[in-house]
Amino acid sequence: MSGGVPILTQAETGDSPVRHALRRLSVYLRRNWIYYAAWYLVIVLYSGALNTLPLAVGWAIGGVIDVSVNQAEVIERCWVILALAVVGGGLRFVSRMLVFNAAREVEYEIRNDLFEHLQKLPQSFYFRWRTGDLMSRCVNDLNSVRMLLGMGLLSVAQSPILFVGAFIAMCTMSLKLAILMMLPYPLFILISRWVAGRLYPRSLAAQQSLASMSNLVQESIAGIAVVKAYAMEEERAARFEEANQQLRDRQLGLVRAFAAMPALVGLLPAAGLGMVIVVGLGEIAAGRMTTGNLISFTIFVRMLTHPTFMMGFAISLVQRGAAAMQRIDEILSVVPAIADHPDCVELDHLEGSIEFRGLSFRYNDDARDKALDDISIRVPAGTSLGIVGRVGSGKSTLASIIPRLYEVEDGQVFLDGVDINRIGLSTLRSAIAMVPQDSFLFSMSLASNIAYGLPPDATEEAIRVAAERAQLDRDIEDLPFGYDTLVGERGVMLSGGQRQRTALARALALDPSILILDDTLSAVDAETERRIQARLDEVFSGRTVIVVASRVHSVRNLDQIIVLERGRVVERGKHEELMALDGLYARLAAEQAEDEARNRMQSAFPAEPESVAMAERG
Amino acid sequence: MSATSPPNDTKPISREAEAHEEEALGRAYDGRLLLRLWPYVRPYRGQVAGTILLFFPIFLLELAPAWVVAVGLHQILAARDLGETLTTAGSPRSGDLGASWLANFFEPLLLWMNNPPVGIPNAVWLGLIFLAVTALLTLLGYIHQILMATTGQNAMRDLRRHIFGHINRLHMSFFDVIPVGRLVTRATNDVENVSEMFSQGLVALVTDVFKMLGFAIVLFMLSPKLTLWTFAIVPVLAIAAALFRLKVREAFRSVRVKIARINTHIQETVTGMKVVQLFSREARNLAEFDRMNADHRDAWRQSIKYDSLLYATIEVATNMTMAIIIAMSTGLAEAGIIYVFIDYMQRFFLPLRDLSAKYSVMQSAMASSERIFEILDTQPGVEDPVSVAPESAAADRGLVEFDHVWFSYSESDGKAEDSIDWILRDVSFRVEPGEKVAFVGATGAGKTTIIKLLTRLYDVDRGTVRVDGIDVRDLPQQELRRRIATVLQDVFLFSGTIAHNISLGREDLDPEAVERVAQAVEADSFIARLPDGYQTEVLERGANFSTGQRQILSFARAMAHGAHILVLDEATSAIDSETEAAIQRGIHVLMEGKTAIAIAHRLSTIRDVDRIYVLKNGRLIESGSHETLIASGGHYARLYWLQTMHDDSRTSAAQPA
Repeated sequence: MSGGVPILTQAETGDSPVRHALRRLSVYLRRNWIYYAAWYLVIVLYSGALNTLPLAVGWAIGGVIDVSVNQAEVIERCWVILALAVVGGGLRFVSRMLVFNAAREVEYEIRNDLFEHLQKLPQSFYFRWRTGDLMSRCVNDLNSVRMLLGMGLLSVAQSPILFVGAFIAMCTMSLKLAILMMLPYPLFILISRWVAGRLYPRSLAAQQSLASMSNLVQESIAGIAVVKAYAMEEERAARFEEANQQLRDRQLGLVRAFAAMPALVGLLPAAGLGMVIVVGLGEIAAGRMTTGNLISFTIFVRMLTHPTFMMGFAISLVQRGAAAMQRIDEILSVVPAIADHPDCVELDHLEGSIEFRGLSFRYNDDARDKALDDISIRVPAGTSLGIVGRVGSGKSTLASIIPRLYEVEDGQVFLDGVDINRIGLSTLRSAIAMVPQDSFLFSMSLASNIAYGLPPDATEEAIRVAAERAQLDRDIEDLPFGYDTLVGERGVMLSGGQRQRTALARALALDPSILILDDTLSAVDAETERRIQARLDEVFSGRTVIVVASRVHSVRNLDQIIVLERGRVVERGKHEELMALDGLYARLAAEQAEDEARNRMQSAFPAEPESVAMAERG
Repeated sequence: MSATSPPNDTKPISREAEAHEEEALGRAYDGRLLLRLWPYVRPYRGQVAGTILLFFPIFLLELAPAWVVAVGLHQILAARDLGETLTTAGSPRSGDLGASWLANFFEPLLLWMNNPPVGIPNAVWLGLIFLAVTALLTLLGYIHQILMATTGQNAMRDLRRHIFGHINRLHMSFFDVIPVGRLVTRATNDVENVSEMFSQGLVALVTDVFKMLGFAIVLFMLSPKLTLWTFAIVPVLAIAAALFRLKVREAFRSVRVKIARINTHIQETVTGMKVVQLFSREARNLAEFDRMNADHRDAWRQSIKYDSLLYATIEVATNMTMAIIIAMSTGLAEAGIIYVFIDYMQRFFLPLRDLSAKYSVMQSAMASSERIFEILDTQPGVEDPVSVAPESAAADRGLVEFDHVWFSYSESDGKAEDSIDWILRDVSFRVEPGEKVAFVGATGAGKTTIIKLLTRLYDVDRGTVRVDGIDVRDLPQQELRRRIATVLQDVFLFSGTIAHNISLGREDLDPEAVERVAQAVEADSFIARLPDGYQTEVLERGANFSTGQRQILSFARAMAHGAHILVLDEATSAIDSETEAAIQRGIHVLMEGKTAIAIAHRLSTIRDVDRIYVLKNGRLIESGSHETLIASGGHYARLYWLQTMHDDSRTSAAQPA
């Protein structure tokens, strides 16, 4: 495993985004310096072998022309060419292996670091960043960075070494011609600067376009039920067409900016050769150079054409890679807002008493009203708290603050009298079992989903017990593969109620001090809900239980109940006390009473196994 | 059970094995697949023809530089050996290399090269020709590349459009079994792979073959003997390339499977990050991810090895030919011809050098196009009528009829009658315009299925579903769904503003209409508190709204739709009773005279319905108003009384100890 995400913040270095990204990249390169050092050495040797080759060819052809050299000697000279070719090939093999493996190694490290970093980022990050965009950075951009490190680096770093070697070799024949040969090359710097300047913004734009298109597709498919129900196909297609056309235009723009590069660059060695021919013919006529030498020069040109070309090509890889690294760097530079406090309080065990002291909370992403406003409650260990309120009153937010899904300021929330910001995240979260409102399941077996929070050596028994507590065991038995049935995106379709109960079982498998249920049973029918509640009362007696509910009946029997309205506690007490207050709680209860009769009736229908419908579709 | 082993190693049951198998498909060259890609290129065949035509001048120009050098060398040697003046030197003798007719063919050209206009020295003249040829070659190469890229990008844009359009038309059941991430990959990364093939692989491959053929022919014309000697290397290279193909194929496959796994894992972890963090799975996840990631890196080591080996072998072979040419031509030929030979031979081998890169591009493009066509080959399942029924123009009134409807999610064809798992059995009912009805029954009784058949997400097996008297199969789907507004269980918010999420892009809905609807369903109060009101952007996954608020927005959507039929599919689970009652009042106002069909776990949404239908095991067993059903003393009434009694005892028993 790599040594963790290199810590680098923009504020510290004050760099431009690209420089910052490249500085981060250099950390990875330095970490793998052995690869690159070995590669450099091999390249120098390779350059030596390769640049001796044209000299040998000129020498051998010189022998053919020169009648004084006999055929046997010419053939000997050919053996030298052969030997140089084989040595060069061997070195080439090693150098390619080294640089491509190094690129894969760095790719591996960056990917690991990205993943590790993503896991540390809080919910607020995932509100702002779209999944499609994140994926595009993890896949497409990382790919471009790898190209930069492999093919790009190979060409950019190797070509100058080859040129220097060639220049030295050519100087042994004729200094004048060698200088002439190299004369056009400074132009390369001008050309590449010009092209690169146009390339970088276009690369960035193309990558962005790709990301936004993939996001659009992602959204359309994830929301396909809405798209179909509301006949939105045309509207979606129009949006897609726009993104599609933009992507095409930007990618073509990129090609246009780049296509001139190899063309212009290819002219450089040709210009050199043109001059060599002009001057060289005169030199030979004047007897200062042999014909074999001129042939060597022409072979040099042929040999240098490809690296020159590649260098031009590499400019695009480098620009694209730098743009991509910048996009990756944007993620890696986000400082996790929720992390362990430097001086954490060591706690072996949490009893489970919770206290909110004047808690106020505002989602930091926009200037919305306070989500929670001056909330103070004490929940002694082992007691239960119900949170009810109207839609959007802050119920879920309040519950989510306990396991620090959202960041609150110091001195507002305490567990066992300790500020939660001072409790290690893993200590805190392992003391809490929370069932979030959306029952997200992973693409693994039901058993693995239930055992998600358990150590890897969890027993079957523990899983079965959890399933039974959530009243899921009978459903599982009806499934074709029982506990091994795959669920999640790739698995069978579970009904909404079954998903909720699986998410519940996942939490009930733990042995927490605090259990938080965030409107967990909305899609479960009343009869099953009653049975679950009965089991919960049994299993969780003596632990702290927080229940968020939009229905009053779910919290009726709890030790204390608070009623939230626009983030404030407007009523608090036991069920009877709140009813007597005749306020919001009583109104909620009254509205509900009317439904109750019908609900009871509804739950009286003999349950037909949900799995019948499921098995058909799965 | 597999809880004791890492979750990602779950036994290959259900679909996982297949899913991974799918990623492993792909041959390097498949004529059938290439043929299928042709329709996307066809509209741009003019550009393709241009690209191919350009090849010929490019090839001819590539022949020229070597001759310029050869002429120069000849002039020098001739001058030195024979004392002739440079200006009168003839063409290079082809000597014993034979094929003098070729030299004759080029005679006028060679003469032209040998005789510069007055005042220009011979050497400068040759230099100028050389530069001019290279410049022209550069220009043509540039045009060639732009043409190729434009064709490729246009074709890929069309392909993407086709994929996206097709995905939108697919049957709902398709989306039940295929993960979102995979479909996104089809329309983006897979198309990119195919595009790579267009820009780097395919056309380059074709022109490369042309070029190699061309150079081989010219080489033979120059000297069959020398050519045969140097081509002795070709079989060796062919074997090397074949071995490479064999070895690398497996390596590439395993790499592709592994990267697919990695990306699926990232996507899933990002989507379920809240659960990951709540259950403190970060360390274990990272360890699992590291293993996958390292596997992927190691899988690459193999193909890097073979790739480097092939590249080096071809480089060695190219350089070796120089030795062979020189050794074989001793005393036979002159320097100019040797130079031409070496130059052409190297150009012959050049395309082979990037063979492995092209191979890998081709292979991943083939795998990608195979997966793309797999999607495109999936039938939409529910098709629009070929000719629209004349009555479809009839005014929508809100009449819904089910006429002896049978339905099963499994294929019912060819199965024995009793082995079919019918979800609905012989269901008939009629909802008059303006009537409000509700369906009750246990989970799995078929309530939601009725909605799916009505909105034609599925087609009936037997019987007919009619809306406003027209069989739903005779209505274009868009037209049908315009008549029906559904409040879905699953509330999905698109990126964009709140206003857009209510209007869903319908241009005929002005901002006032959107606000009116929002007020009616009590959405106005929380929208007004947002920083930009109706223009507030929805965050990823609608994260700035609670589940209840999202459900309210879903109501607003349905109301804004203005259809004559409203369908409520268990829509209010996360809404408190007071808000719900308010929504109900709003809906009543808006739904005056319109048809409503409700399905609910909590029966609160159906408090004022005109009629209740009772479903059991896919059959309609009773119907009537709450009072009539109670009075009739049937199934509904019996359960109602039983439950009320049971509930009384439950309430007392469930008191805390």
